Amino acid sequence: MRVERLNEPIRVRADFAGGTVTPLALARGTQSFRVLRVNARWADRQGKERLHYFACTVPSGDVYELCLNAHDLTWRLTSVMLEG
Amino acid sequence: MGYRVLHVDIDAFFASVEQVRDPRLAKRPVIVGNGVIASCSYEARAFGLRAGMSLAEAARLCPQAVVLDGHYPTYRAFAERVYAQVAALSPCLDTYLDECYADLCGTERLHGDPLARARALATAIRDDTGLGVTIGLGPNRMLAKMAGKRTKPAGLGAVTADEADAFLEPLPVGDLLGVGPAHRRELEDMNVRTVADLRRLPRETLAALFGAHGEALYERARGRDSRALTPREVPLSISRETAFHHDTADLDEIEGTLSYLTARACRAARELGIAARLVEVHVGYADGVSERGSAGLRRPTALDPDLEPVAWGLLRRLHRRRVLVRRAGVKLSRFAAAGPSQLDLLEADDGGRSERLVEGLDGVRDRFGDGAVISGRSVHLLGRLERTTHGFVLRTPSLTK
Repeated sequence: MRVERLNEPIRVRADFAGGTVTPLALARGTQSFRVLRVNARWADRQGKERLHYFACTVPSGDVYELCLNAHDLTWRLTSVMLEG
Repeated sequence: MGYRVLHVDIDAFFASVEQVRDPRLAKRPVIVGNGVIASCSYEARAFGLRAGMSLAEAARLCPQAVVLDGHYPTYRAFAERVYAQVAALSPCLDTYLDECYADLCGTERLHGDPLARARALATAIRDDTGLGVTIGLGPNRMLAKMAGKRTKPAGLGAVTADEADAFLEPLPVGDLLGVGPAHRRELEDMNVRTVADLRRLPRETLAALFGAHGEALYERARGRDSRALTPREVPLSISRETAFHHDTADLDEIEGTLSYLTARACRAARELGIAARLVEVHVGYADGVSERGSAGLRRPTALDPDLEPVAWGLLRRLHRRRVLVRRAGVKLSRFAAAGPSQLDLLEADDGGRSERLVEGLDGVRDRFGDGAVISGRSVHLLGRLERTTHGFVLRTPSLTK
């Protein structure tokens, strides 16, 4: 298992229904992935800004960790967990 | 029922969080740590792996284990969610890194049967976070923790005051809280092997053997633990410690790390509104030798510019061996409430400049995150350590437990 730590902007399609956020798909460069499952979600702070993290499994089986900044509603890809 | 205290312990905490984040790790041996094991999954423990073991030894015993560096802010976020569930049971919690105690006094009429409520709590925590917890119920902190410990992982143990004697007496003496490996060996050398054997020793004998700790053991062997369960508004000490990514003799790196750790400890103290009267510095060498030194302060303070020079002075006094340094740490203690204190006529006064500087830096950190400003000799760590919004990524950060 290999973890690549990143901090890059990413485009995410998400469902905000019911007061919760659920990532549905993400696009990184020219690649786009469907989110098969949100394995875990947790919240943290960066100063006054609240950050929401999501560990999402994509069809390849890899886990993408996404971060939503609740202050400016921007998404970042913070890590990818790859097999091998 | 007599269950006054509920103890919740998160099973294999860091490794379990990693298994929740990535389901491919479920049922696989997982290690979190860098240099040494900070936490390992129960699948890894089946191979004899334990926290504190070196990763080299772990790789020999279990080559297929998945080793991860870990991400401590994430673990803290998960722990807070667990404790939020426990707080629904009782407003009086005493929380640590991976365990907490809740005072159940007066909650029976509200929540009903404590055993049923504990089971429901474990289920709620698993549903919310995916983490397994072991819960213990008892008449005091010690018995609650020991009751749960015997049912790990994902267990529920309960002991009432009436059952305490029967529960404690057959236990190996090393299972009693407060009996570490050194005390266990010493007691076993005297043929004291069970708690029942320990109870035969008079209080005076235990006090002669172990000092004040012997008195505590005398009480604990009888199931008595009078420590109050209150949220710790003022901790006994605040410590920050880490191992270096590589053993080092580079004074810039050592001083920079010590500065960074001191600044983090000071900020923790300022957030609690307390100021330290004692600073202790710890240096661990690559050959296993470690040195500690402490210095009292003329005035209680929680300002980095006041404490950092004291820490550097201690470091220079301690760091005399020509051996690579593996670990460094700082501990603040003997706290007083922060605020105006008696000025010293003979001491140079900077007219509050340090205080205003630190206040300004705290304001920036409050707004943009702890990693937003690097101050003092911590700048030596720039380019040496990975940096996130939380600050530098230390190898084995160890917080006050």
